[in-house]
Amino acid sequence: MVNLLIEQYQYTTTPKYNFPHVIQHLQLPQHFIQLSLRTLRNIRKGNLFHPYVATQPVNPTAQMLEEPKRLFTEPSKPTLRLIPIKPIKDDTPIIAVDVSSMKIGETDIGILCAIRAAIVWKQRHRYRYVRLGPFPFHITEENKNEVYHLFRQYSFFEQPTLDYSSTLSLLYAPTRLGALFERWLQMGIAVQTRNGIILWDGSLTAGTQDAPVTVMSQLLETARNRSNTVLAFTKTTRLRLFGYRLTDHVGKCVPPCLVEINGYPIALSNTMRLLGNIYVAKLSEGNCSFRLDIDRKLPQEKAVEATQRLVGNDILLQSYPETLRLAHIYSTFTANEVIGIQRFLVQTHKLKIITRPNVRRLLFGPFGKGPES
Amino acid sequence: MRLYRKEGNTIQILCFPNENVEKGDYLQVEDPKQNKALLIQVINVQFANVPGILEELLRDSTNNGDIIHGENLDPLDVASQITLIQDARLLICKIRGTVQNGKLSVSSAWLPSRSQSNIKKLSTTTLAKLLKINDKLPIYIGDTKEFSPLKIDAAALDGSLNIVTGKKETGKSHFSKLLVLSLIEHGAPVVVLDLNGEYANLGYASDGKKNQHYSKIHVLTPAGNFKVTLPQIGLRVMFNILIHALNLPGTSAREFRRTWRLLKKQGKLNLHELGEAIRNLQCNYHVKDALFSRYYALVNSGFFTDNPSEAMTLEDCFRKIQTGGALAVNLRDTSFVDRQIVVEYLLGKLVEMLTGWKLKAVFLFAEEAHLYLRETYWNDIVTRMRHFGVFTTFVTNQPDTIRENIYRQVDNIFLFNFTSERDLETVSRAAKVDSETVKSIARDLPPQYCLLLGRVVKDFPIVVKVRALDVQTMGQTRLFFN
Repeated sequence: MVNLLIEQYQYTTTPKYNFPHVIQHLQLPQHFIQLSLRTLRNIRKGNLFHPYVATQPVNPTAQMLEEPKRLFTEPSKPTLRLIPIKPIKDDTPIIAVDVSSMKIGETDIGILCAIRAAIVWKQRHRYRYVRLGPFPFHITEENKNEVYHLFRQYSFFEQPTLDYSSTLSLLYAPTRLGALFERWLQMGIAVQTRNGIILWDGSLTAGTQDAPVTVMSQLLETARNRSNTVLAFTKTTRLRLFGYRLTDHVGKCVPPCLVEINGYPIALSNTMRLLGNIYVAKLSEGNCSFRLDIDRKLPQEKAVEATQRLVGNDILLQSYPETLRLAHIYSTFTANEVIGIQRFLVQTHKLKIITRPNVRRLLFGPFGKGPES
Repeated sequence: MRLYRKEGNTIQILCFPNENVEKGDYLQVEDPKQNKALLIQVINVQFANVPGILEELLRDSTNNGDIIHGENLDPLDVASQITLIQDARLLICKIRGTVQNGKLSVSSAWLPSRSQSNIKKLSTTTLAKLLKINDKLPIYIGDTKEFSPLKIDAAALDGSLNIVTGKKETGKSHFSKLLVLSLIEHGAPVVVLDLNGEYANLGYASDGKKNQHYSKIHVLTPAGNFKVTLPQIGLRVMFNILIHALNLPGTSAREFRRTWRLLKKQGKLNLHELGEAIRNLQCNYHVKDALFSRYYALVNSGFFTDNPSEAMTLEDCFRKIQTGGALAVNLRDTSFVDRQIVVEYLLGKLVEMLTGWKLKAVFLFAEEAHLYLRETYWNDIVTRMRHFGVFTTFVTNQPDTIRENIYRQVDNIFLFNFTSERDLETVSRAAKVDSETVKSIARDLPPQYCLLLGRVVKDFPIVVKVRALDVQTMGQTRLFFN
């Protein structure tokens, strides 16, 4: 019954969105929708569904999962250089992408999660956006390897060779699938855009499972070949320099400015590489500054010029670009949306809602304040 | 719909936008295990307080105007469910009773299951059947929300004190005319104190032709076809007129009584002789002046005559309407003082006839009664006269002109739209349901919609769209630009 219901879906990709010319040919892969439906197919009518009640996403970001804590180790002697930024107003297109993933609930055989992406761009003084999703997925111990392979295949165009079942925990599956979807979108934007500034949420650290060096390098190269510059903003970095948080080093610098950090190793380990030069960006008045990674293979003047164009063409609030802020806002799930997705799954797949007891609450009463298991 | 919460007499129901429920609707919360249902009425509809809604609204508000445009690519149409939750409603309901085995009781000492209960709408027609409100003498007053006719029992108006109230142009007068005609049809005698002459043409259809009520509507125009002689009035009624309508001081009143009795003894009780007698009075000139001024007020009212053929006997009039009919006393072109004289006479005579069992009972319709009834008569009408058989319906757009002690005795309220908090507060104190119900429902009633409260609906408030009447109502306001 449920299978039949799912087979009735006839989804086709939208052939052309209302994108500006630069990215108007970006298409949502039919595979991705099919993959979502395929995972939902293993839900059976009457499966138990324990809705997740968190009102805020608690999944760690892919960055947090894999970012090294110690970068500036002995004997490296990093140096700092202040680069003042002069805004360039020239209507350079600015494109930002962000992806949110969220655990929606649990079934008796796996987890239900949802992924949504937002692409926001600014051109000719106007912001526009495209939101993709939400796409619900049902990830089980049985299908997680297959789903992950297919995600990698679509995102990285690689043939599945490794077995990830031992390293892919269901707990982090939403975050990792979200990261792969984000790579796919980043690639799509890099291919479709010319002479633009592409803003990423996160760093240009490569060598993790979801950000292989080859793939990330290829992404940056694609962007470079089309005269784009990738600027990757990290909201919260754990990197420290001379004992202080990296972003504290802008101190009393007059914005807009960059603080260039030199003298650190490019290779963090056998596998991990820094594909970007690390800066601390204080691009407007306010208390905030951010770690900014800019493609290492770009000449430094190009990197600085890209920052100048960003400052000249985008709104910056607390040093954070508005385009990227909007991308985050449009992709994030609100509590109401989570309830809506849960309701969608219950309605379309006839799930039976149960509430599992909160063990912490049971054991510790009002003192059981930690997250539900 | 799902049962969400109960606090005191209030129940909250969670409802989705596709479930069409409005203020005033009745819902039945069926508990299959207990085999009974709680009857509740929706008194307010709010948005459900869904977490995260503020973030969504803020996010979407950046979408206004030219600031940011975008597209949502949602091939699975998950957003439809999200929108549904955004628009989820919370129905604030009041418990009215319990339905068990097809019988309705006012008991509400139980609670249905939150998880197992089924909630469904109860049509007003079904409710009316359960309440048995149109059993004996049905009055078709209008249509329910489901377009089925709603009838009330005329017997529920018998012996009752009623108030028809609402702000201007909401249909109060129309509704009271409907009640008048319906009571006539059931053979009841009705007296209307018609302040604006609106009831004069109730015997004519809207096309100007005589209708079936024509022979039953009798219009009395003071100083026109409604005149009386002094002997008809009697000293007691005349005394009331002089003291209450014309404010005659006590000393002068005593002198007047002496004069009246003398004239009556001499068989000369008429206006002319009364004037002469006052002129020839040997008394304090202040008293004489006072009596003269009142005398001329009586003469100038045109309501009194010395010609018996011009005079009208009220007993005869009541005889005409004893098996169903209305006496519409047209007070339109009558001054404030003359109005009081006429009403004092009419009510005095009415009580006289009722106490003498010349009349069984009468339904009195008083429009804006504060404009012609003295203060003390209010209590008199609703307490003493009620026992004699005067069943009053006050029609007013100023509910605060009716005193609270009268409200306390009200049996039925026919409530039209009010927006003023003060007016709603006044009415809600009198109604036999909670004030929240009155305030919340009445505030949003469209014109011609009436909230029925009291005996006629067995204390289950019902909203009805008052039916149209094919009569010349004449209640419309005269306009300059039309």
